Amino acid sequence: MKNKGTHLGLLAFLLLGFLPFLAAFGYALLYSFGLVGVVNKGFTIQFWQAALASGTFFTSFLYSAAIALVSVLMSVGGALWITLKFREYLNRGFLSMVTYLPLAIPGIVTGFFVLQILSKAGFFARVAHYFGWIQEASEFPDLVNDRLAIGMILAFISLILPFFVLLFLNIYKNERVEDLSILAASLGASSGQVTRRVFLPILLHKARILIVLYFIFLLGSYEVPLILGQESPQMLSVLIIRELKQFDLDKISEGYVVAVCYTILVSITALVIFLPKRTKIYAG
Amino acid sequence: MSLKSSGRKRSKTCSILLGVVLLVMGCGGEKTTDDSHLKKASWNEISGEGEGKEVTFMMWQGSPVINDYINNYVAPEVRKRFNITLNISGGQGPEIVQLVMGEKQADIQEGQVDMVWINGETFFQLRKIDGLWGPFVKQLPHAAYIDFEDPYINTDFQQAINYMECPWSISQFALTYDSARIAKPPANLEELEAHLRQHPGTFTISNDFTGMTLLKCFLAELSGSPQGLNGAFEEKKYKELSNRLWEYINRNKAYFWKGGDTFPREQTRVAQLFANGELDLVYGYGEGGIEEKVLSGLYPKSVKGYAWANGTIKNANYLGILQNSPQKAAAMQVINFLISPEAQLKKSAPDGMNANTILDFSKMPEEWQEKFKRMQKRQYGPSMEDLESRAIEEPAPEYMIRLYEDFRTEVIEK
Repeated sequence: MKNKGTHLGLLAFLLLGFLPFLAAFGYALLYSFGLVGVVNKGFTIQFWQAALASGTFFTSFLYSAAIALVSVLMSVGGALWITLKFREYLNRGFLSMVTYLPLAIPGIVTGFFVLQILSKAGFFARVAHYFGWIQEASEFPDLVNDRLAIGMILAFISLILPFFVLLFLNIYKNERVEDLSILAASLGASSGQVTRRVFLPILLHKARILIVLYFIFLLGSYEVPLILGQESPQMLSVLIIRELKQFDLDKISEGYVVAVCYTILVSITALVIFLPKRTKIYAG
Repeated sequence: MSLKSSGRKRSKTCSILLGVVLLVMGCGGEKTTDDSHLKKASWNEISGEGEGKEVTFMMWQGSPVINDYINNYVAPEVRKRFNITLNISGGQGPEIVQLVMGEKQADIQEGQVDMVWINGETFFQLRKIDGLWGPFVKQLPHAAYIDFEDPYINTDFQQAINYMECPWSISQFALTYDSARIAKPPANLEELEAHLRQHPGTFTISNDFTGMTLLKCFLAELSGSPQGLNGAFEEKKYKELSNRLWEYINRNKAYFWKGGDTFPREQTRVAQLFANGELDLVYGYGEGGIEEKVLSGLYPKSVKGYAWANGTIKNANYLGILQNSPQKAAAMQVINFLISPEAQLKKSAPDGMNANTILDFSKMPEEWQEKFKRMQKRQYGPSMEDLESRAIEEPAPEYMIRLYEDFRTEVIEK
């Protein structure tokens, strides 16, 4: 009975989670080699050559990775600091609600919100103009669609920092970090040592998988870079959609090349990160 | 558990999995309909076949006034008159082409969409993949009011329409400025350069259809004549002119919006930036799309529209029926209604969609000519007649395709 349930569960997982992904990947792979596609004429590697020679994919991948990394590091750092300094207040009614609130806001809304407040004619620019700090809209600093991706990074932080705060608060409680900190202090550890040797290692160790998953999630995010990003370089998802929707139908296959490369790279990253851990558990 | 029974279970699981995969793969609509009889049918027969059917219309839904016209006027009217249910599906050029390509790939004979709103670029792409059904326009009774001798109507991006798409409305590309801020707006590339250097950051080019149309106007100016891009695409001519265009833009890039670091993805963003006061110039079809934006309060009443000195592109937009449309007769009925004098009059209302009619006044019944004459004129935007002397033809679609690609590689990514 139990075996039957396990098999059905596995089947459901394969059908719902794995099969559509595999089918889509297979389709993209065939498209990238010209084997499917209304305007394609059969097997060719010309789309791979063209896509890889242009270098756009690699630039876009590095750009996306840099933005995802900075956003995750700043979010995790900020969440750790908030947990360390304000955990007692955050467990109370109103502040607890404030922490949950951003989690209910979709990425596309956050993108527009950031655009409305940080653009050259946005809320802060108007405040600056009102107080006479700037005379023209163009004098306001570039904070959206900007070279340093400030708007995008801020949007990502506002999207994921609250999640990490809640996660760290839970880990803090469940792993009895409070008790361990008191114990360490009673054994003579300074507050800095408690933070470095007890607080940070426990929280980061327990959250490490989610941190990596959020990095991968940001790497492939679409709405925020679409609204707040530059036209070049573009984050990966925006680049892929642009390639797939381009007007030159003969070049649509290059978009599938980028999609295939991205999928392979993310899959390899995920395997490299998650496989050693499993081996260790079984070895132990 | 024995090895044998474990093997049996594994093979059972695999069989179920294979069955489901085959079921999913077999879900594509394989019904085939032969609609060739419609091309020879009388209008009465077509009307009879279309009655009571459901038509899906894929169109750009980015404008509230267009949505209002379709949802609150066209859909109820076709329901009342022909018992046709009109469903609207959002999507324009690339989405339409992607949909058709996907359905062709899956060999779906009865597609999701019946009729589409397209321009020459999409017409070119759909013809390339044999995605359009027709010719059908000659059979529409109201097509008799359209002047098919007009080159701006019978030729779409230098391609003969051959009655494969039905003209719906016509407009001219125009530039818009705020007369309260600028006394004399630039009207050629030399004046634009001077303006940019005097007012840095106040101009940009959107990386979309509208922005590329502006680039085509610039390209025509560089050719030295409003007719410079007419005729079939010429690689040599394009190379020579586009090199000069990229050199011009890159020379002035630092004076563009955001120092030329980035370009807006869409024209709607350019309109917002203009409304915010960040940009001095905005542009678009529909003689600049001024009326609606002033009436809705987005633009101030001091805005004015004008044509580039060498000319701006004038073109028509069209309605097509997809090759695998399941309801072609009903789609023809809807299209015939959309080009009726009544629907066109309603569409031309300045406080509504404010679109120039595609119908030729001299071909229309007198009562409708009178009604069109009595229609209130635009208060803020220029009329097409005002700009007509500076109208130029849409160049071949290859110009647009190449400009898209090269604007990215030669300007945005540099």
